[in-house]
Amino acid sequence: MARVDLQGLHKVWDTATAVDGLDLTINDGEFVAILGPSGCGKSTTLFMLAGVYLPTAGDILFDGARINEVEARDRNVGIVFQSYALYPNMTVLQNILFPLRFQKHPDADQRARDMADLVQVGDLLDRRPGQLSGGQQQRVALARALVKRPNLLLLDEPLSNLDATLRLTMRAEIRRITRELGVTTILVTHDQLEATTMADRVVCMNAGRIEQVGTAEDLYLRPQSRFVAGFIGSPPINFIEGSVTGGALRCDGQTIAVAAPDGPVCIGLRPELLIPVEDGLAAKVTHVEAMGREVLTSVETAFGTLRFLEPTARPRWRIGDDLQLGFAPDASIVFGAAGTRLDGATAALKKVIHA
Amino acid sequence: MASVDWNALAAKSRRSRRWKNGLLIGFLTLVSVPILLPFFWMVVISVTARTGGVEAAVLWLACAVLVPATCAYGAAHLALPHPRARIIAGGVIAAAAALGLWALVGDQLHLHNYRFLVNSNLVEDIRGAATAGGQFPWVWTAFGNSLLVASVSTALKVIVATLAGYYLSRFAFRGRSGFLQGLLILEVFHPWMLTIPIFLVIYWVGLLNTLTGPILVLTAIDLPFFIFIMKGFFDAVPWDIEMSAMTDGASRRQAFRMVVLPQVRAGLIAIAVLGFIKGWEEYVFVTALRTGNSYWVMSTYLYYVAEDVMGVDYGLVAAVSVFYMIPSLALYLWCQRYLTQMTMGGVKG
Amino acid sequence: MSRPTNLITRGAGAPPPPVMTQASRQTTNALVFLGPACVFLLCLLVIPIFVDLVVAFTDMSQTVRIDGFTTKQFEKLAKPSPEALLGFELRGSFYRALSLSAVYVVCTLAIFNISFALILALTTTALPDWLGGLYRAIWLLPRMSPSVVYGLLWLWTIDPTGRGLLNQVLAVAGLDPVNPKLDAPLTVIVVANGFIGASIGMLILTSAIRSIPQHLFYAARADGAGSLSIVRHIVLPALRWPLSYITVFQSLALLVSFEYIFLIMGPARQTMTMAMLAYTKTLAPGIGSGQYAYGAAITLILIVIGMAVALILWRLSNMKRLLTRPRIEVQ
Repeated sequence: MARVDLQGLHKVWDTATAVDGLDLTINDGEFVAILGPSGCGKSTTLFMLAGVYLPTAGDILFDGARINEVEARDRNVGIVFQSYALYPNMTVLQNILFPLRFQKHPDADQRARDMADLVQVGDLLDRRPGQLSGGQQQRVALARALVKRPNLLLLDEPLSNLDATLRLTMRAEIRRITRELGVTTILVTHDQLEATTMADRVVCMNAGRIEQVGTAEDLYLRPQSRFVAGFIGSPPINFIEGSVTGGALRCDGQTIAVAAPDGPVCIGLRPELLIPVEDGLAAKVTHVEAMGREVLTSVETAFGTLRFLEPTARPRWRIGDDLQLGFAPDASIVFGAAGTRLDGATAALKKVIHA
Repeated sequence: MASVDWNALAAKSRRSRRWKNGLLIGFLTLVSVPILLPFFWMVVISVTARTGGVEAAVLWLACAVLVPATCAYGAAHLALPHPRARIIAGGVIAAAAALGLWALVGDQLHLHNYRFLVNSNLVEDIRGAATAGGQFPWVWTAFGNSLLVASVSTALKVIVATLAGYYLSRFAFRGRSGFLQGLLILEVFHPWMLTIPIFLVIYWVGLLNTLTGPILVLTAIDLPFFIFIMKGFFDAVPWDIEMSAMTDGASRRQAFRMVVLPQVRAGLIAIAVLGFIKGWEEYVFVTALRTGNSYWVMSTYLYYVAEDVMGVDYGLVAAVSVFYMIPSLALYLWCQRYLTQMTMGGVKG
Repeated sequence: MSRPTNLITRGAGAPPPPVMTQASRQTTNALVFLGPACVFLLCLLVIPIFVDLVVAFTDMSQTVRIDGFTTKQFEKLAKPSPEALLGFELRGSFYRALSLSAVYVVCTLAIFNISFALILALTTTALPDWLGGLYRAIWLLPRMSPSVVYGLLWLWTIDPTGRGLLNQVLAVAGLDPVNPKLDAPLTVIVVANGFIGASIGMLILTSAIRSIPQHLFYAARADGAGSLSIVRHIVLPALRWPLSYITVFQSLALLVSFEYIFLIMGPARQTMTMAMLAYTKTLAPGIGSGQYAYGAAITLILIVIGMAVALILWRLSNMKRLLTRPRIEVQ
């Protein structure tokens, strides 16, 4: 097992910068998820960790030692791909045995079988990859990655080829197995649910940079940038944009008090924290979505379209209804012009403050 | 886990990577020399040889300039990561090589061997008018005939193979599997195997000694292979787009023309280039399907020049060879990336 | 034609579309799409095969007339012999041609078309793309240049005088000049055909290597495999089918090829393979003596071998994919 440090890591392709200065420490035995939209550089980072790509600048350290130029085969890293990348000409057992071939292990066979049992494919050992279901292939790929007891386990979108129910099972399975083995794990995914449910810490990436590192709760409740606020959470957060003058945003006679210096701001409001009140922001219902457990209502206000979520199965509003929306002062997150959070800044509805 | 000496591993990896690439490049360069050298020699002869004599020294002098220049560019390419710097370095080295060539062999260069391009009575000039009796044509006649044979047969091949490939890929009809299996058998029949019976058929039809004979035969012999190539390309076109074209109101033929055909452009270019090069270089059938010298194409022209007319005038023979090679080589270099795609389509049939 | 009840009007002013049934559309489609190919294939490939079958049993010569049927041509190739295992033994010249063909095909195939093609494909794909492509382009040069030019280059390279390129190189190395055309004729035709065959194999194998998913290579490297292990466990298993395809197809192509042999060696006895024998006895410019029936008989033997090869190919090829049913049923 190993502690992994990334220091100022860059990867530049011919025309584009894929990874733009990454600094990150992953502790021994930790499960970290790298989350971001496609093209944000998360897979490039993973492949640099695996030793498939060479960093353009910066360092990768395993337990404090620089390993930039160490070949993949010497890094003792296990990797599971989205496509599983099982060797089609080998049986399941041969696939799992493959990494041990190069270590000349005395009890290789037993170890492979134990690992197969751990991931519950012990009764499929003689099949070929083509005869397995997606979930089974996934388990075999995991066994192959883990059988040599790697320093580091890398998972590249491992669940995106599975159907919804299987994804749920495999999420728990992977967590169980990595916890049992205590292996340092890095998961790359674009699925926020996958990242937040499986990882100890989530690294949110955008355009080759780290936006924020933290627990799932940190990212949801205390996003440090407008990007993180917008990327995490479903249905997505509401943004109200405007320019603060004299401590308030004003539009069509409606006012939101903002405790921030004058200048452009963006106020983030989670849909579940917006609530219909007696005396608030005037709004007209434009769309109602019943989602089963909750109802999502879209309204048109002086500050643009907002959406709010109510924990009820039966819609309370109909299209065309007029209502008033309010929110508590600590529900708002205020971002500055650069998209970073303004610490200590809050927003509140004037009327609510006066009341 | 025991502590690992990462530094030693990194050094090992650097070393092995450098060694591996060096070995590969060295090996490939070594095996490529026997291919390149004769071609280069031919070009050198064509621009330096005078009245039959071959100056071997020129070849080695030219190599003495070009080999270091190539090595220098390789070194520059490795040392300079920036594309702009690479281009500048390449330009400087090319200029230096040109200067070096000019200094060493510049006084030997001449274009006298290419006089066949402007002299329509080459044989008479060399041997005296009596011998060849005007039978031997001007090179442009042969050039025109070759162009005609190659382009007409290519056009026929592309049209026929595309239509058949599309039909076999996309239409259900009775006997389809039988037809495909039969085609697979025909693909095995290498054209050269059938030279004699094809000659007989052409003779009976009365097309012997006409250019139509080689054109038709050249079209037919590549057909099974080309049909499979095109079928492979059509197979790779998603059904969805054709189905949506049909629901959008196109008939199947319209869908073929307007939606599917543009998708297989790479395949069309590939078989066109391949077909043209084949028609351009053809020797066996153009000689088999004529008796005497009823028509001349470039291959028979060069063969005649090399064997009969002036077998010892190396400069002239080399010049004709270079002239003959340029069109197919230019076409090949220009369309190289389409040809590699073709093999994928072809093999997977 | 009766009035259709479901005629759809396609915009004002447009003439009504021709009314065709599914069956008649099928016929015209088949004629338009498949017709030309059928005509070409039938007239210039299928009919010649049957012509050959007939002519092989005649006495056709320069007059190109069929006077009667005879098995005389086959008696020139083999004579009945009660002692022999199969009831006949091959005559000298044909026996020599047959064994020469076998040696030539096996050597060229094993050394160049397969082994060297594999080496080229593996080494060029291990290099950066542009560099590998450059070396592949160089190796395709002989294939893409006209055959007469290629033959001429060989003649000049192996010229026995000091002018020959090979002898120039040997002279630089301080060795005596050689005359391969006389001393090692088989080597000459094996190498000359091999350079071409290697490039074809190289192309096919390169595209097969390219179609292996990149993730498999990454996974194998992360699993600790070195370059050689990757070749053995990942690449070679994926090349099983292309390699057998090359073996079957190229062996047949080599068996019937005579163009380069003729252009380089002329009608030399040391390189008189079966295909060369048929060619020189019939159509070769200047020396062909028009013994069409004799040539046809040799061709018939090649056709039989070709049929056998086709059967092998049949077993090898992925018939199910080849015959996948089309998904649009309307014509």
